Amino acid sequence: MSRVHVRVRVAGEHYALPVDGVLEVAELGDLTPVPGSPPEVMGVRNLRGRVIPVMALATLLGLTAEEPERIVVAELGTGSAGFAVDAVVDVGELPGASEQVDSPYLTGAVLVDGLLVGILDVDAILSSVASPGA
Amino acid sequence: MSASDEEIHELVRQEAGDCLRRMESNLLALESGDGGAEEIDAILRDAHSVKGSAAMIGWQQATTLASGIEDRMEQAREQGALAADQVDPLLRAVDELGRALQVEPAAEAPKPAASPAPTIRVPAAKVDRMLDVVGETVLYHRRLEHALGDTLRDGRQASEELDMGEQLLDELQDSVIQMRTLPLRTITDSLPRAVRDLASQEGKEVELTIDGAETQLDRVILDGISETIVHVLRNAVAHGIEEAGERESAGKPQAGRVELRAGRRGRLVAIEVVDDGRGVSPELLARAEQEGSLVDILAETGFSTAEEVTDVAGRGVGLDAVKRHVESLGGGLELKSETGRGTEVTLLLPITLALMKVLLFERGGHPFGLPMTSVGRVVAVADTTSLGNRPSLELEGQVVPLSDLGQLIGAAAAPLPRNPPAIVIESPGRRLAVACDELLGEEEVVIKSLGAILSGMPGFLGAAILGDGRIALVLDPNHLLKAPTEAMAIGQSEETDGRMVARVLVVDDQFSARELQRSILETAGHRVEVARDGREALARIGEIADLDLVLTDVQMPEMDGFELLEAIRASEEHGSLPVVIVTTLGDDASRRRGVEAGADAYIVKEEFDQQALLETIERLAGR
Repeated sequence: MSRVHVRVRVAGEHYALPVDGVLEVAELGDLTPVPGSPPEVMGVRNLRGRVIPVMALATLLGLTAEEPERIVVAELGTGSAGFAVDAVVDVGELPGASEQVDSPYLTGAVLVDGLLVGILDVDAILSSVASPGA
Repeated sequence: MSASDEEIHELVRQEAGDCLRRMESNLLALESGDGGAEEIDAILRDAHSVKGSAAMIGWQQATTLASGIEDRMEQAREQGALAADQVDPLLRAVDELGRALQVEPAAEAPKPAASPAPTIRVPAAKVDRMLDVVGETVLYHRRLEHALGDTLRDGRQASEELDMGEQLLDELQDSVIQMRTLPLRTITDSLPRAVRDLASQEGKEVELTIDGAETQLDRVILDGISETIVHVLRNAVAHGIEEAGERESAGKPQAGRVELRAGRRGRLVAIEVVDDGRGVSPELLARAEQEGSLVDILAETGFSTAEEVTDVAGRGVGLDAVKRHVESLGGGLELKSETGRGTEVTLLLPITLALMKVLLFERGGHPFGLPMTSVGRVVAVADTTSLGNRPSLELEGQVVPLSDLGQLIGAAAAPLPRNPPAIVIESPGRRLAVACDELLGEEEVVIKSLGAILSGMPGFLGAAILGDGRIALVLDPNHLLKAPTEAMAIGQSEETDGRMVARVLVVDDQFSARELQRSILETAGHRVEVARDGREALARIGEIADLDLVLTDVQMPEMDGFELLEAIRASEEHGSLPVVIVTTLGDDASRRRGVEAGADAYIVKEEFDQQALLETIERLAGR
């Protein structure tokens, strides 16, 4: 797997998504709320004719959301979904050595320029949303 | 023969296959000395049956071969035994007849004046992809039109070009959708056999007839619906059709009858499964009247019309699954039943999943859609102050519960405006009025999945992207109706056009002959009843008040066609009923007997002509 990641900022913290699963970065855009959906689902968005669900990454990680402005669109087995983030920091290689972290949503964490960056496990996040109660 | 009668050919082949197998085993029994007069008669009957069916659809070689076997068996009957050296040639003749039935249609039934259209095979996924792209293109066009908005007024040519583009896109979309539709027959061909097997497991005799197998449906719908239809058929066989003894004491023919009929009903396709079994109990019917819907009661687990639930089908659980399946496709399930007379289950399905006509409206600043098939009407709520605890509307003297869409689905929204519009959602037995802020109008939309995480969410059929780029959530009307509501019956009306429609009773002991005549008559718009011998026919004639005409075969068990004719003519009430004889007996003596007995027309199966039959019927029934 490539070590290239998309680094994002959420509620003041830094996270990274492996670039292999990332389709694109887009504006948050107009969201249509879906009544009755899980709280982390902000709504659905029209992305060039496709309907994709958009999730608040902050809520998923148990953080207090600031004002998300962008979405990172990730591809999964059954379709794609957008993660709302405050900002996209950069796209680049992360150091290989990873710290173990005790979070179901992270595969690890690395120190970059003195900042701890959590590496997101996209599949784990999505499956926890897809099976309510997790 | 019309080209659409491949269905009949298949029926004839199936039926003849049974006859051939029986002939073979009876011949073997005769050869081994185990058989006698009974076997000879049986072979004779089977040969005669095959001859009749083959003659009727014009398969000359098979007719001749079957006739040859019949002649030799006639001789054997006269001599009281079949000579041992006759068995081998007869077995060979049976084989040859089997081959003739397989190859004949290709050799002898070419479509008139039309060589077969060339076909290509395309992986289904490619068509799916194409349909997706076409859908996107349609939306792109709408966005373009929307974006150009005001500038269009200045450029007439551009506006005309856009209109042209829209027309072309519509055609393109239609043709791609048609590429993805297949006839229902692709999943029904195996059903008659399946029903026969199910019935024999239950120790019953059940005959399945299929009508409307050419009805087109989206491949995606067909894929999933096959199992569901089998479920409904299983219910009919296991729970609907009674044991032979029970049927007999109820005055019904020993063999149960299940009909599968498919056809368009407006924008939907209706697949009806009708049995002539015991129906549901009067207690259940009474409960349904009180609580509103027989479907819902029967779909509750644990309900069965049979005393015990067999391993073939537990009715309750099954029907619940059937209901959920058709509803998930944006369709519905209807159920009618009459105690002692039978049950009719109707699956209503959209023709395609790709496109849906929806009524668009707004609540809380967001657009929503409801399938037009579920929308009964739209009303203006006269006084919003009546939206109290148990709000309702009065429509045509009936009370319809009224809900605010926002509250109903839990969407955040400001209070409704004064006199808001309300959409009346209808399903058999239920109505619900849903109030919103504003109606946006009717539009044909491409239904998209809500995506990976939300697609399983109840309450939504999907999402549609509107011309202005906004997303409208398309609501599942059945989910909205789940809220407990007042019982309500919705009447059904029968449509008629100006053409003459005759009610015809077809009497023939042979399944294929009956079905061939039925399909010809129904295609011409007539209403058809059937009976399998003279005795059953007489009973039916007594029951059907507006019968116009009887078409009858001659050679049948119990009571033959001539005896039936004589009985009709002797009857005070039905003495003048037109009777047409359709038979393989083309000899002068038989014709004379028919005319003497009072037949209005005499049609020989070998000379069978669809058009002549229809003209005869119109002439006689129109008198």
